Amino acid sequence: MNKELFKNKCLRWESFLVLTLILEIIIFGLLNPKFLQAKVLLGSINDFICICIISLFVTFVLITGGMDIQAGSIVGLTSISLGVLWQDAGLNIWMAVIMAIFIGAICGAVSGFFVAFTRVQAMVVTLGGQFLYSGLALVVVNLSSSSAFEGISGYPKSFIALATGNILGIPNQVIIFIILAVAGYMLLHKTKYGRYIFLCGINREAAEYSGIRTKWVIMSTYILSGMSASVAGIVLTSYLGSARADLGKELTLPIITAVVLGGTSNLGGKGGVIGTALAAIVIGFMRFGLVMIGLSTQYLDIPIGLLLIIAVAGRTITSNTKLMKMIHEIFHKIKRA
Amino acid sequence: MKALKNIFKAREISSLIFLIAIFLIVGSINPSFLRFKNLLLIFNGSIVYVLLAIGIAFVIISGEIDVSIGATLGLAAAVSATLLRDGSSWAAAVISALIVGAAVGLINGIGVTVLKIPSIIMTLGVNGVVRGAIYVYTNGKWVENVPYTFKAISQATIMNTLTYFFFGALILMGIVHILLTKTNRGRYFAAVGDNVSGAHLIGIPVDKTKIITFVACGIFAAIAGVVYVSRVGFVTPTAGNGYEMKAIAACVLGGISLTGGVGTVVGATIGATIMSSISRVLVFLKFSSDYDNTITGILLIIIVVADALIQRRVAEKARRKRLLARTSGEGGKNNE
Repeated sequence: MNKELFKNKCLRWESFLVLTLILEIIIFGLLNPKFLQAKVLLGSINDFICICIISLFVTFVLITGGMDIQAGSIVGLTSISLGVLWQDAGLNIWMAVIMAIFIGAICGAVSGFFVAFTRVQAMVVTLGGQFLYSGLALVVVNLSSSSAFEGISGYPKSFIALATGNILGIPNQVIIFIILAVAGYMLLHKTKYGRYIFLCGINREAAEYSGIRTKWVIMSTYILSGMSASVAGIVLTSYLGSARADLGKELTLPIITAVVLGGTSNLGGKGGVIGTALAAIVIGFMRFGLVMIGLSTQYLDIPIGLLLIIAVAGRTITSNTKLMKMIHEIFHKIKRA
Repeated sequence: MKALKNIFKAREISSLIFLIAIFLIVGSINPSFLRFKNLLLIFNGSIVYVLLAIGIAFVIISGEIDVSIGATLGLAAAVSATLLRDGSSWAAAVISALIVGAAVGLINGIGVTVLKIPSIIMTLGVNGVVRGAIYVYTNGKWVENVPYTFKAISQATIMNTLTYFFFGALILMGIVHILLTKTNRGRYFAAVGDNVSGAHLIGIPVDKTKIITFVACGIFAAIAGVVYVSRVGFVTPTAGNGYEMKAIAACVLGGISLTGGVGTVVGATIGATIMSSISRVLVFLKFSSDYDNTITGILLIIIVVADALIQRRVAEKARRKRLLARTSGEGGKNNE
C-alpha cells in the first residue's frame, strides 16, 4: 500500500515534468517558430548534453545520501587528458578515449573512497576533489606542447563524428543520451545493485547489518558519476573539436538542479533516473529556448536558479501536512464567506 | 596548567601550528620567504578571504551551508563600485552594499527556515540568481574608474605594517569571537548547529537564529565586496566567482566541522590565511601557480580525512572507557 502510494507520487512528479516540457515547447514555439523544427529541437541537445549525461549518474550519488560537486571539474580534466594522450603521448584516439574514461573512474574512486571509508561529509570531499581535479587539468596542460588558451585540436574525422554525426537523422548525441539513460534506469531500478543503492540512502546501518557492503556500494556510485563526467568530457571534446582544461566549470548548478528537479531528495533514499533525464531536458530546453528568443546566455543562471528554488519549495510545501491543512482551512473560510 | 591544556585542545591551534609549519618549512627552503615584508604581503592579501570565511563560519557553525557568498560579494562590489564611480559618498556606497548583502542573506534564511529548502540547494539557486543579477545590473560591462582616494585606503598601513583593513578585520574577528563564545545569544549558533531538536526543546528560537546567521554571512560577504573594490579597483561581472568554495575550504582548514556546532571564527581566519598563502608559497618554491588548486584540493582532503580519523579514534576510546566502567560496576553488583 505504502509502496504504491510512493510510486503514485513519483509518477505524478514525472508527469508534471512531462507537462512542463510540453508547455516549454509550446511557449517557445509560439515565440519563435524555428524552435518547433525537429532538427533544431533535436540538435539543441548539443548545448546541454553534459548536463544530461552527468546528472543521470549524479542521481545515484544523491540517492545514497551523498553529494557530488566535483563532476564539472572531471569534465575538463578528461577532456585535456584525452587531448594530451592523443597528441603528445601518441596513442590511438580510441585508446585515448578508453584511458580518459578510466581517468574519470579513478577520480570518482578517490573521492568515493574517502566518502565511503572515512565517513567525511561528501560535500567536503567533493569540494576538495573539485579543487584537485581542476588543478590537475592545468598541470596536464603543461605536459602538452599546446598552450592552455588554444586547447588541443585537429582530431581524426571518426572521432569528430562521435558527437556531430547522426544515424537515420537522429543526432548521435541524442542516441548516446538515450542509451545511457536506459542503462542508468536498468541499473538503478531493475537490478539488485540498484536496490542496494536505495537501501544505503534510506538507512545505511540497516543496509550494513543486512549484509550489504555499503562502503563499496557508496564508493561505486562516485565511480559511476566520475565515469559519466568523463564520457561527457569526451562528447564535448568531440563536438567542439578541441580539448580544453576549463570545460565544464560552470556545470555544478545545472547538474544539481537537474537531479533535484527530477525528484531526487538530497537527503537520500528517494529518486529516479527517469525524473532526472526529464528534468535535464526541461532545463536544457529552457536554456536553449531562452537564448532563441533573444536572452543573453549570461542571464541563464537566473531562471535556472529560480526553477531550482521553486521546485524544491513547492515539493516541501506540498509534503508539509500542517501547512497544507492551514491552506485548506483558509480555502474553506473563503468558501463560506 | 589547565588553561594551557585547554589551549592545546582547541581545534584551531592545530591549524595555527600547521600555518607556522608551512612558513618554517618554506622559509628553510627559501629564506627570503620569511622576510617581514613578504609575511605582511601574505597577511594583507588574505583580507577578502578572511572576511568571507568569518561570515560563512556563522552559517557552518549553525549546521547549514551557504554557496551564494561569491555572487553576493560580486553584487555588493558592483553596487558599491557603481555608486562610487558616479560620485556618491563613501557612506552611501558602503551602506547600500551592506543592504544588498543583508537582503541576499535574508532571502537565503527565509528559504531555509520558512520554506524548509535544504540550504545547499537554496543557496545554490540563489547563487545563480544573484550572479545573473550582476549581469543585469552592470549590463555585462566592467565597472571601472573607481575614485583613486577610495582605492588608496586599501594601501594605507599602520606604521608601515598591516593595512587598516586587515587590522579592522582582526578587530571584527575579535568582537565576533567574543560574541559567539561569551554571550548567551552568541552560543545559540553552536547549539543550533550541534543539535537542532535539542536547541528547540530548551527554548532557543531556531528559525530566528538561522535567519540571523544567513544575514550575518551576507553582510560579511558585502564587506568583503567593498574591500574587493578598494583593493582591485574595478569589478568584472565574474568577480568573486568560486570564492564561496575557497571560503568553505578555509573554514574546514580552520577546524570548523561542516556538520555544525564545532569551530570558531579564529579558526576560520587562520584557515583563510593558509588558503591565501598557498599561491605565495608556490611562488617561493619556484612552482608554477598552476599548482594552486591541486595543492588546495590535496590539503583539504588530507586535513579533513585525518581529522575525521582522529576524531573517530578519540570517540571510540571514550566509548570503550565508558563501557568498561559500566560493565565492571554492574559486575560488582551481580556478585553481591
